[in-house]
Amino acid sequence: MTFEDSTLATRASRGDVEAFTQLVRKHSNLVYRIALRILGPEDAKDASQEVWVRVWRSMGSFRLESAFSTWLYRITVNTCLSARRREMGQEAHQAPALSESIPYLQEPPGGEGDPEAAALGRERMDEAIRGLRQIRSDHRAALVLRHMEGLSYPEIAEILEVPEGTAKGWVSRGRAGLLVVLSRGEEAGSERHPTASTERGEP
Amino acid sequence: MNPEERWEQLERIGAYAAGELGGEEAREVERLVLESEDHQQLAQFYARMITLLSVMGEESPEAPEAVVSYAIRRAYISAFLQQTEDLLLGVGRSYLGALTYYLGLRAGQ
Repeated sequence: MTFEDSTLATRASRGDVEAFTQLVRKHSNLVYRIALRILGPEDAKDASQEVWVRVWRSMGSFRLESAFSTWLYRITVNTCLSARRREMGQEAHQAPALSESIPYLQEPPGGEGDPEAAALGRERMDEAIRGLRQIRSDHRAALVLRHMEGLSYPEIAEILEVPEGTAKGWVSRGRAGLLVVLSRGEEAGSERHPTASTERGEP
Repeated sequence: MNPEERWEQLERIGAYAAGELGGEEAREVERLVLESEDHQQLAQFYARMITLLSVMGEESPEAPEAVVSYAIRRAYISAFLQQTEDLLLGVGRSYLGALTYYLGLRAGQ
Protein backbone atom coordinates (compact mmCIF):
# COMPACT_ATOMS: atom_id res chain seq x y z
CA MET A 1 0.00 0.00 0.00
CA THR A 2 1.33 3.45 -0.83
CA PHE A 3 2.01 5.75 2.07
CA GLU A 4 -0.56 8.17 0.69
CA ASP A 5 -3.29 5.51 0.53
CA SER A 6 -2.45 4.33 4.01
CA THR A 7 -2.65 7.85 5.45
CA LEU A 8 -5.87 8.64 3.61
CA ALA A 9 -7.46 5.33 4.61
CA THR A 10 -6.55 5.87 8.25
CA ARG A 11 -8.02 9.38 8.20
CA ALA A 12 -11.15 8.21 6.35
CA SER A 13 -11.66 5.36 8.83
CA ARG A 14 -11.93 8.08 11.53
CA GLY A 15 -14.69 9.80 9.57
CA ASP A 16 -12.58 12.31 7.65
CA VAL A 17 -14.68 12.97 4.54
CA GLU A 18 -11.95 15.00 2.84
CA ALA A 19 -9.60 12.00 2.99
CA PHE A 20 -12.39 9.74 1.69
CA THR A 21 -13.00 12.19 -1.16
CA GLN A 22 -9.35 11.92 -2.18
CA LEU A 23 -9.55 8.11 -2.12
CA VAL A 24 -12.67 8.21 -4.30
CA ARG A 25 -11.04 10.54 -6.81
CA LYS A 26 -7.89 8.42 -6.90
CA HIS A 27 -9.51 4.98 -7.23
CA SER A 28 -12.87 5.62 -8.93
CA ASN A 29 -11.52 4.53 -12.32
CA LEU A 30 -10.37 1.20 -10.88
CA VAL A 31 -13.80 0.52 -9.36
CA TYR A 32 -15.65 1.54 -12.51
CA ARG A 33 -13.31 -0.48 -14.75
CA ILE A 34 -13.83 -3.69 -12.74
CA ALA A 35 -17.60 -3.17 -12.59
CA LEU A 36 -17.68 -2.55 -16.32
CA ARG A 37 -15.78 -5.76 -17.04
CA ILE A 38 -17.77 -7.95 -14.70
CA LEU A 39 -21.23 -6.48 -15.22
CA GLY A 40 -21.16 -4.60 -18.50
CA PRO A 41 -21.97 -0.96 -19.25
CA GLU A 42 -25.65 -1.07 -18.17
CA ASP A 43 -24.95 -1.95 -14.55
CA ALA A 44 -21.43 -0.65 -14.01
CA LYS A 45 -22.50 2.83 -12.87
CA ASP A 46 -24.98 1.67 -10.24
CA ALA A 47 -22.56 -0.98 -8.98
CA SER A 48 -19.74 1.58 -8.70
CA GLN A 49 -21.95 3.85 -6.62
CA GLU A 50 -22.88 0.95 -4.38
CA VAL A 51 -19.21 0.03 -3.98
CA TRP A 52 -18.36 3.50 -2.65
CA VAL A 53 -21.33 3.47 -0.29
CA ARG A 54 -20.09 0.13 1.08
CA VAL A 55 -16.51 1.40 1.27
CA TRP A 56 -17.56 4.44 3.32
CA ARG A 57 -19.71 2.28 5.58
CA SER A 58 -16.90 -0.24 6.09
CA MET A 59 -14.03 2.24 6.44
CA GLY A 60 -14.05 1.74 10.21
CA SER A 61 -13.32 -1.96 9.76
CA PHE A 62 -10.44 -1.43 7.32
CA ARG A 63 -7.19 -2.81 8.73
CA LEU A 64 -3.84 -1.63 7.52
CA GLU A 65 -2.49 -5.19 7.23
CA SER A 66 -3.81 -5.48 3.69
CA ALA A 67 -3.29 -2.99 0.89
CA PHE A 68 -6.13 -0.51 0.41
CA SER A 69 -6.30 -1.43 -3.29
CA THR A 70 -6.70 -5.16 -2.43
CA TRP A 71 -9.47 -4.31 0.02
CA LEU A 72 -11.11 -2.10 -2.59
CA TYR A 73 -10.83 -4.81 -5.27
CA ARG A 74 -12.51 -7.24 -2.83
CA ILE A 75 -15.44 -4.94 -2.10
CA THR A 76 -15.83 -4.15 -5.79
CA VAL A 77 -15.80 -7.78 -6.91
CA ASN A 78 -18.16 -8.83 -4.10
CA THR A 79 -20.58 -6.01 -4.93
CA CYS A 80 -20.55 -6.95 -8.61
CA LEU A 81 -21.02 -10.65 -7.89
CA SER A 82 -23.91 -9.88 -5.50
CA ALA A 83 -25.54 -7.67 -8.12
CA ARG A 84 -25.16 -10.44 -10.65
CA ARG A 85 -26.61 -13.06 -8.28
CA ARG A 86 -29.59 -10.83 -7.53
CA GLU A 87 -30.16 -10.39 -11.21
CA MET A 88 -29.66 -13.96 -12.33
CA GLY A 89 -30.71 -16.11 -9.38
CA GLN A 90 -29.15 -19.49 -9.96
CA GLU A 91 -26.68 -19.04 -12.73
CA ALA A 92 -25.32 -22.54 -13.20
CA HIS A 93 -26.84 -22.55 -16.63
CA GLN A 94 -24.48 -19.77 -17.63
CA ALA A 95 -21.41 -21.99 -17.70
CA PRO A 96 -20.70 -23.71 -20.97
CA ALA A 97 -21.73 -27.32 -20.55
CA LEU A 98 -19.04 -29.86 -19.80
CA SER A 99 -20.29 -31.97 -22.64
CA GLU A 100 -19.28 -29.17 -24.98
CA SER A 101 -16.78 -30.52 -27.49
CA ILE A 102 -13.40 -28.87 -27.74
CA PRO A 103 -13.64 -26.13 -30.31
CA TYR A 104 -11.67 -26.74 -33.46
CA LEU A 105 -11.43 -23.70 -35.59
CA GLN A 106 -10.27 -23.24 -39.10
CA GLU A 107 -9.07 -19.74 -38.27
CA PRO A 108 -8.33 -18.56 -34.75
CA PRO A 109 -9.98 -15.29 -33.73
CA GLY A 110 -7.92 -12.30 -34.64
CA GLY A 111 -8.24 -12.86 -38.34
CA GLU A 112 -5.52 -13.02 -40.93
CA GLY A 113 -2.37 -10.97 -40.93
CA ASP A 114 -0.61 -9.42 -37.99
CA PRO A 115 -1.95 -10.94 -34.76
CA GLU A 116 -1.24 -7.79 -32.75
CA ALA A 117 -3.17 -5.64 -35.19
CA ALA A 118 -5.99 -8.20 -35.29
CA ALA A 119 -6.14 -8.36 -31.50
CA LEU A 120 -6.58 -4.61 -31.43
CA GLY A 121 -9.72 -4.82 -33.55
CA ARG A 122 -12.67 -3.16 -31.88
CA GLU A 123 -15.02 -5.81 -33.17
CA ARG A 124 -13.00 -8.54 -31.47
CA MET A 125 -13.06 -6.61 -28.23
CA ASP A 126 -16.82 -6.23 -28.39
CA GLU A 127 -17.14 -9.95 -29.06
CA ALA A 128 -14.93 -10.70 -26.07
CA ILE A 129 -16.98 -8.37 -23.84
CA ARG A 130 -20.18 -10.12 -24.91
CA GLY A 131 -18.45 -13.49 -24.46
CA LEU A 132 -17.31 -12.61 -20.96
CA ARG A 133 -20.90 -11.99 -19.95
CA GLN A 134 -21.83 -15.52 -20.90
CA ILE A 135 -19.47 -17.27 -18.52
CA ARG A 136 -20.10 -17.89 -14.82
CA SER A 137 -19.61 -14.68 -12.90
CA ASP A 138 -17.06 -16.01 -10.37
CA HIS A 139 -15.04 -17.46 -13.24
CA ARG A 140 -15.41 -14.18 -15.09
CA ALA A 141 -14.23 -12.18 -12.09
CA ALA A 142 -11.16 -14.40 -11.75
CA LEU A 143 -10.45 -14.14 -15.48
CA VAL A 144 -10.77 -10.35 -15.43
CA LEU A 145 -8.42 -10.07 -12.45
CA ARG A 146 -5.86 -12.37 -14.05
CA HIS A 147 -5.79 -11.42 -17.72
CA MET A 148 -7.14 -7.88 -17.74
CA GLU A 149 -5.90 -6.55 -14.41
CA GLY A 150 -2.71 -8.63 -14.57
CA LEU A 151 -2.87 -9.75 -10.93
CA SER A 152 -1.01 -12.76 -9.54
CA TYR A 153 -2.80 -15.84 -8.24
CA PRO A 154 -2.04 -15.03 -4.57
CA GLU A 155 -3.56 -11.56 -5.11
CA ILE A 156 -6.62 -13.01 -6.85
CA ALA A 157 -7.07 -15.56 -4.07
CA GLU A 158 -6.89 -12.78 -1.45
CA ILE A 159 -9.43 -10.64 -3.30
CA LEU A 160 -11.86 -13.49 -3.94
CA GLU A 161 -11.24 -14.92 -0.46
CA VAL A 162 -10.66 -18.43 -1.79
CA PRO A 163 -7.63 -20.75 -1.71
CA GLU A 164 -5.07 -20.15 -4.45
CA GLY A 165 -5.92 -23.49 -6.09
CA THR A 166 -9.56 -22.43 -6.40
CA ALA A 167 -8.53 -19.10 -7.92
CA LYS A 168 -6.39 -20.97 -10.47
CA GLY A 169 -9.29 -23.32 -11.25
CA TRP A 170 -11.70 -20.42 -11.77
CA VAL A 171 -9.29 -18.64 -14.11
CA SER A 172 -8.71 -21.84 -16.04
CA ARG A 173 -12.42 -22.60 -16.36
CA GLY A 174 -13.17 -18.99 -17.24
CA ARG A 175 -10.52 -19.06 -19.95
CA ALA A 176 -11.85 -22.31 -21.42
CA GLY A 177 -15.44 -21.07 -21.10
CA LEU A 178 -14.65 -17.86 -22.95
CA LEU A 179 -12.87 -19.80 -25.66
CA VAL A 180 -15.92 -22.03 -26.15
CA VAL A 181 -18.25 -19.01 -26.24
CA LEU A 182 -16.04 -17.18 -28.74
CA SER A 183 -15.72 -20.25 -30.92
CA ARG A 184 -19.51 -20.49 -31.03
CA GLY A 185 -19.51 -16.93 -32.30
CA GLU A 186 -16.95 -17.91 -34.91
CA GLU A 187 -19.13 -20.80 -36.01
CA ALA A 188 -22.21 -18.61 -36.19
CA GLY A 189 -20.18 -16.12 -38.22
CA SER A 190 -19.03 -18.77 -40.65
CA GLU A 191 -22.59 -20.05 -41.04
CA ARG A 192 -23.59 -16.55 -42.03
CA HIS A 193 -20.61 -16.44 -44.41
CA PRO A 194 -20.34 -19.91 -45.92
CA THR A 195 -17.06 -19.10 -47.69
CA ALA A 196 -15.29 -19.03 -44.31
CA SER A 197 -16.36 -22.52 -43.36
CA THR A 198 -15.08 -24.06 -40.15
CA GLU A 199 -14.54 -27.74 -40.40
CA ARG A 200 -14.33 -29.35 -37.05
CA GLY A 201 -12.74 -32.65 -36.47
CA GLU A 202 -12.96 -34.89 -33.48
CA PRO A 203 -9.95 -35.22 -31.18
CA MET B 1 -12.32 -39.30 -24.76
CA ASN B 2 -15.22 -38.36 -22.50
CA PRO B 3 -16.42 -34.74 -22.15
CA GLU B 4 -14.67 -34.25 -18.77
CA GLU B 5 -11.35 -35.36 -20.22
CA ARG B 6 -11.82 -33.15 -23.25
CA TRP B 7 -12.62 -30.21 -21.01
CA GLU B 8 -9.55 -30.93 -18.88
CA GLN B 9 -7.41 -31.05 -22.00
CA LEU B 10 -8.89 -27.75 -23.11
CA GLU B 11 -7.97 -26.18 -19.76
CA ARG B 12 -4.43 -27.57 -19.85
CA ILE B 13 -3.80 -26.16 -23.31
CA GLY B 14 -5.15 -22.83 -22.00
CA ALA B 15 -2.74 -22.88 -19.07
CA TYR B 16 0.09 -23.73 -21.49
CA ALA B 17 -0.84 -20.87 -23.83
CA ALA B 18 -0.94 -18.51 -20.83
CA GLY B 19 2.58 -19.61 -19.88
CA GLU B 20 1.42 -20.92 -16.54
CA LEU B 21 2.80 -24.44 -16.81
CA GLY B 22 6.31 -25.44 -15.92
CA GLY B 23 8.59 -28.45 -16.07
CA GLU B 24 7.22 -31.82 -17.05
CA GLU B 25 3.64 -30.57 -17.27
CA ALA B 26 4.60 -27.93 -19.85
CA ARG B 27 6.57 -30.46 -21.90
CA GLU B 28 3.66 -32.89 -21.82
CA VAL B 29 1.22 -30.29 -23.17
CA GLU B 30 3.82 -29.14 -25.68
CA ARG B 31 4.03 -32.69 -27.04
CA LEU B 32 0.23 -32.79 -27.21
CA VAL B 33 0.16 -29.50 -29.11
CA LEU B 34 2.89 -30.53 -31.54
CA GLU B 35 1.21 -33.86 -32.27
CA SER B 36 -2.02 -32.42 -33.59
CA GLU B 37 -2.80 -29.52 -35.87
CA ASP B 38 -6.13 -29.06 -34.10
CA HIS B 39 -4.35 -28.63 -30.79
CA GLN B 40 -1.93 -26.18 -32.37
CA GLN B 41 -4.85 -24.11 -33.59
CA LEU B 42 -6.42 -24.32 -30.18
CA ALA B 43 -3.21 -23.07 -28.52
CA GLN B 44 -3.03 -20.24 -31.06
CA PHE B 45 -6.67 -19.40 -30.42
CA TYR B 46 -5.95 -19.21 -26.69
CA ALA B 47 -2.83 -17.11 -27.20
CA ARG B 48 -4.77 -14.59 -29.29
CA MET B 49 -7.63 -14.53 -26.83
CA ILE B 50 -5.22 -13.84 -23.95
CA THR B 51 -3.49 -11.10 -25.98
CA LEU B 52 -6.90 -9.60 -26.72
CA LEU B 53 -7.83 -9.64 -23.02
CA SER B 54 -4.58 -7.99 -22.00
CA VAL B 55 -4.96 -5.32 -24.71
CA MET B 56 -8.47 -4.69 -23.41
CA GLY B 57 -7.02 -4.56 -19.91
CA GLU B 58 -4.79 -1.66 -20.92
CA GLU B 59 -7.84 0.46 -21.68
CA SER B 60 -8.84 2.42 -18.64
CA PRO B 61 -12.31 3.90 -18.98
CA GLU B 62 -12.90 6.91 -16.76
CA ALA B 63 -15.57 6.66 -14.11
CA PRO B 64 -18.51 8.97 -14.86
CA GLU B 65 -18.37 12.15 -12.79
CA ALA B 66 -21.87 11.28 -11.52
CA VAL B 67 -20.44 8.22 -9.74
CA VAL B 68 -17.68 10.23 -8.08
CA SER B 69 -19.94 13.07 -7.00
CA TYR B 70 -22.62 10.67 -5.72
CA ALA B 71 -20.06 8.82 -3.57
CA ILE B 72 -18.66 12.05 -2.14
CA ARG B 73 -22.11 13.57 -1.54
CA ARG B 74 -23.27 10.43 0.27
CA ALA B 75 -20.18 10.48 2.49
CA TYR B 76 -20.71 14.16 3.38
CA ILE B 77 -24.40 13.59 4.19
CA SER B 78 -23.56 10.51 6.24
CA ALA B 79 -20.83 12.38 8.15
CA PHE B 80 -23.16 15.34 8.73
CA LEU B 81 -25.90 13.08 10.09
CA GLN B 82 -23.39 11.31 12.30
CA GLN B 83 -22.11 14.62 13.69
CA THR B 84 -25.67 15.86 14.24
CA GLU B 85 -26.53 12.67 16.08
CA ASP B 86 -23.39 12.99 18.22
CA LEU B 87 -24.19 16.65 18.95
CA LEU B 88 -27.80 15.94 19.92
CA LEU B 89 -26.76 13.01 22.07
CA GLY B 90 -24.10 15.19 23.71
CA VAL B 91 -26.55 18.02 24.39
CA GLY B 92 -29.17 15.58 25.66
CA ARG B 93 -26.63 13.94 27.93
CA SER B 94 -25.55 17.33 29.30
CA TYR B 95 -29.15 18.38 29.97
CA LEU B 96 -29.87 15.07 31.64
CA GLY B 97 -26.75 15.48 33.77
CA ALA B 98 -27.78 19.02 34.72
CA LEU B 99 -31.33 17.89 35.61
CA THR B 100 -30.01 15.00 37.68
CA TYR B 101 -27.71 17.41 39.49
CA TYR B 102 -30.54 19.97 39.98
CA LEU B 103 -32.85 17.35 41.47
CA GLY B 104 -30.07 16.11 43.73
CA LEU B 105 -30.28 12.63 42.31
CA ARG B 106 -26.60 12.21 41.48
CA ALA B 107 -24.99 9.38 43.45
CA GLY B 108 -22.73 10.60 46.27
CA GLN B 109 -24.24 14.08 46.26
